[in-house]
Amino acid sequence: MTTRGVNHLHSSTQPEASRFVAWRNFLRDGANCPIRPGIYVVASFLAIAAATPAFAQSDRLLRVIVNSAKDGVQPDAELTLREAILLVNGTLPADKLTDAEKMQVSPSTERSRIEFNLTGDTTIRLTEELPPLATGLTIDGTTQPGYKGDRSVITELALPAPIVAIAPVEGAFIFRGLTVAADDVTIRGLSLYGFTSNHEEPSLNTPNTPTTPPADIFIAHRLPPPDIRKQRIPANFAPFYPDDLPPKGTIIENNWLGIPPSADGLGRTAGVRSAFGVSVFNGTGTIIRRNWIADHEGSAVITSVRATDLRVTENAILANGVAGMPDAIRLEGNVDQAQITGNVICGNDGSGVYLFKPDGAVQIRDNQITYNGRRLRRAAVYLMGNNHQVINNQVGYQTGPGVVVAAVPHSERAVITGNRFVGLEGLSIDLITQQNTNVVDYQVGDGLNPPRNNFFRRLETGNAAIAPPQFVTRNFVALASADGSIQTAPIQIYGRADPGSAIEIYRVTSANGENSLTEPIAKVTTDSKGEFVTALSGLKLGEQISAIATDPRYGTSEPAAIAQIRAIAATSVDLPIATPPSSAPSCVTLSPPPPEPPPVVPTPIVLKVPRNIHFALDKDFISPTTAKVLDQIVKVLQENPMVMVTIVGHTDPRYTYEYNLALGERRARNTRNYLLKKGIAAERMTIRSEGKRQPATPGRNKLDFARDRRAEFIYKDARDIEIIIQEYDLQIER
Amino acid sequence: MTTPTSPLGARGLRALFFAVFAGGLSYQGFAAYAQTLIPNTATAGFQSTPGGPTRTVRSNTVTVPLLSERLEIIKVADRGAAEPGDSVSYRLLVKNSGSSPVTNVVVTDTLPLGFKFLNNSAKAALSTAGSPETPVALSSVTVSGQTITFTYPILQPQQTLIIVYAALLSPDSIRGSGRNLVVAAAKNPAGGEVRSNEASALLRIRPGILSDCGTVVGRVFTDKNFDGEQQSGEPGIPNAVIFMDDGNRVTTDSNGLFSLPFAIAGYRSGTLDLTSLPGYTLAPNLYRIEANSPSRLVKLSPGGMVRMNFAVTPTFREGQR
Repeated sequence: MTTRGVNHLHSSTQPEASRFVAWRNFLRDGANCPIRPGIYVVASFLAIAAATPAFAQSDRLLRVIVNSAKDGVQPDAELTLREAILLVNGTLPADKLTDAEKMQVSPSTERSRIEFNLTGDTTIRLTEELPPLATGLTIDGTTQPGYKGDRSVITELALPAPIVAIAPVEGAFIFRGLTVAADDVTIRGLSLYGFTSNHEEPSLNTPNTPTTPPADIFIAHRLPPPDIRKQRIPANFAPFYPDDLPPKGTIIENNWLGIPPSADGLGRTAGVRSAFGVSVFNGTGTIIRRNWIADHEGSAVITSVRATDLRVTENAILANGVAGMPDAIRLEGNVDQAQITGNVICGNDGSGVYLFKPDGAVQIRDNQITYNGRRLRRAAVYLMGNNHQVINNQVGYQTGPGVVVAAVPHSERAVITGNRFVGLEGLSIDLITQQNTNVVDYQVGDGLNPPRNNFFRRLETGNAAIAPPQFVTRNFVALASADGSIQTAPIQIYGRADPGSAIEIYRVTSANGENSLTEPIAKVTTDSKGEFVTALSGLKLGEQISAIATDPRYGTSEPAAIAQIRAIAATSVDLPIATPPSSAPSCVTLSPPPPEPPPVVPTPIVLKVPRNIHFALDKDFISPTTAKVLDQIVKVLQENPMVMVTIVGHTDPRYTYEYNLALGERRARNTRNYLLKKGIAAERMTIRSEGKRQPATPGRNKLDFARDRRAEFIYKDARDIEIIIQEYDLQIER
Repeated sequence: MTTPTSPLGARGLRALFFAVFAGGLSYQGFAAYAQTLIPNTATAGFQSTPGGPTRTVRSNTVTVPLLSERLEIIKVADRGAAEPGDSVSYRLLVKNSGSSPVTNVVVTDTLPLGFKFLNNSAKAALSTAGSPETPVALSSVTVSGQTITFTYPILQPQQTLIIVYAALLSPDSIRGSGRNLVVAAAKNPAGGEVRSNEASALLRIRPGILSDCGTVVGRVFTDKNFDGEQQSGEPGIPNAVIFMDDGNRVTTDSNGLFSLPFAIAGYRSGTLDLTSLPGYTLAPNLYRIEANSPSRLVKLSPGGMVRMNFAVTPTFREGQR
């Protein structure tokens, strides 16, 4: 069966009929003749549905133990996952099983359960899409013997490694792993990876569009798209039908999505990556907790129509969005009361959380959102809509601002408090103003706002243009503490803000030329005139402070202009040097923690490392010669965990600007893919494309062009790296 | 041209060509034996066999009149651009810059498509060597289709005949070139014909209120039920780029809407630039095969409005095709 949506639509009738005949033969003969030579029945969900006009809600609750890693529906000695799902759905009658298969089925008390007892290979290789889960059940991978639920792979979160994996067979494109179409489905302790669909070359028969959304786990109403047999063309005013009810109460826990099981979680699929992790297309009350969601081409969690009461809790969401929707968590549609709490969101290619024109309010709390924006510069958290809360998160090392509140659609009452920002390339909190709707405004924000000198600023600015606090002076003079250290005695801080707003004062550090609200140190409220005063102790001379104002009627402001703590004698005090990350850039720590890295050598480290790799004319693949150069880079990066690298794709100056920009992007992406395969962590690499803007040489001959076609490595945070230029993989056009 | 008689056909032919090129074309300009006509002939010599006798062929005779009379004509319009409904006044200056009078001056003016001569608008005046103009009457003005013919009896040396007339632009004029051609002819005292240069005036025709351009409107949005229509809950995508067949680049607004006014009527096609919306690609359409195309072909009727909608969905496997 093809995985292409539209083709599916047009080609389903004929094969459906023939499969139905085969299936009927099996039902008639199967019980008496356990193995019928020469007939291998590929049960299609469509065939089953054709045989039973409505979804038979199974009134018998079953406990089914899957003991075969094969795929298919066949009367034999073992029970496959596909057979188990069909049994629980009620579309495969239990009395059609062989005696050996019946041994694995027993009644269940509370709800149907699918358990696992696989021997040997524990990876279930699917040959085609599994039927949707059409009744409430639990698929429990933790029942597989040998599962250690109490042993976490990383120290940050409780993430035990699964044993049972579900993946497509080699070379097959299956666009969804498990499809949830009923209430009360629990999926636990599984690894699902490699689910995507192929963009074929468009031709007369294959349209130019991809399939309906693929995902490891897809949650939708009954007959999920692309199945439109019972859904005629929707009306202009109602996109869905009254019986397209969202499944309630889906629980997805302790799964690894996008990556195969491994002892350290660093295993990667050898085949194609999964497209999306959990796609909550249409579902309410979905709970996604304690999953490891990594290495997807699109988002880790994406919503579409409805995802009310979504809970995304304590997941490790790492290195997603590498070739598609770049944001780790992308919320669209109705996401009222969604909560994103306690996740590690790290090393993804776009935003950590991006709210695109949602309905309803979202709470983003206690997350660690670091090292995102690897491919596209975006805000760590981008908010559209009203009444969102961003509280107590740690946001760091983003190639963009921290939290951005859009101006269009008008967004206000976003409360952003208690967060710690560090190492941003933009403002910690950026409210878009003047109804800006350019590309940058929807990605990296527009910077500091002009003062609210006009009523209309309220209407045209995110969070209704709540004014940032203003300190009365840029320099607060402090008395040194009695012991003569740079620690100061308590200082009175005076300032002004909108009356009635709550002020949160932050310690500030500078990095990349930007100031980040590093640590909240005090809270104070303004009086009726908008003035506030507080005494701060524990500040050091030379430290900088800033503040934000929060008014429940409007939301949280941009940060105040910073003020500095100075000594009474007007001696110049050096600013504290921005502290680079004290640990090597990494998202998670393996458990048990690896041995302490050797202490940092005080003398400058000299790295002999290539700086460029080269490409053939109009090509973006890594040649074998280039791979050897990349292996050198891999070796250096593995030996120096503090080194981060930006990979910039360049092209020679021929052909158009846009084409070359895309070509440079592909070169950078393929270079990073190679390094990812070699085990370099995604959070250490950023990719960019310069296209033809920066040729390596001004020359116009073939050798110069060959030098221009390169991916350039810019090493960051590395001290005194000597760079040797190599070009023995130069590929001159013939 | 004779066929070579030599049995060695190819060689003879080569000799023939050689002779023609060696002999070349000889030109003889005869001394003018009459005051008004210069006859002109050409001869060509060749050998049909190598070393054979040279044969000569003479051309026909072309006569070039040598005139002592010259007519010059200039045409100007009172504006550079016009719209249907406007009237344009043209001014023709016919000058006899020769040394003898010419009679029976005929000025033939061809109006472009959609221009209508305004009856009784033609006025004429005479001026000699820059002296003030004196109004005169044309002997006749005839209109035949788009051709207007003005006649005037006699024009003395260095005398200028000024003709002013007006034309009305009909809605048809936007389909025409807007270029107006005029030429003057007269008889010299010996009875020969004197023709002027051909003058033209170009008007840029603007469509004006009678524009037949249409409007293309459309939207780019995330499609969630894969029917290609935007319903509630399917938000528009800001800053998406649509390219039209004529190279126009259109950007959607914050609601994902765009409009392209003044699109020329006819078949128009547009396509969505997917590089302008990272993270999205074209959504499949489960109901209409046609809408699975990356481009849209629409028929825009004159003054009409057509829709060009693009449905998109979050993407994966970027750069794989």
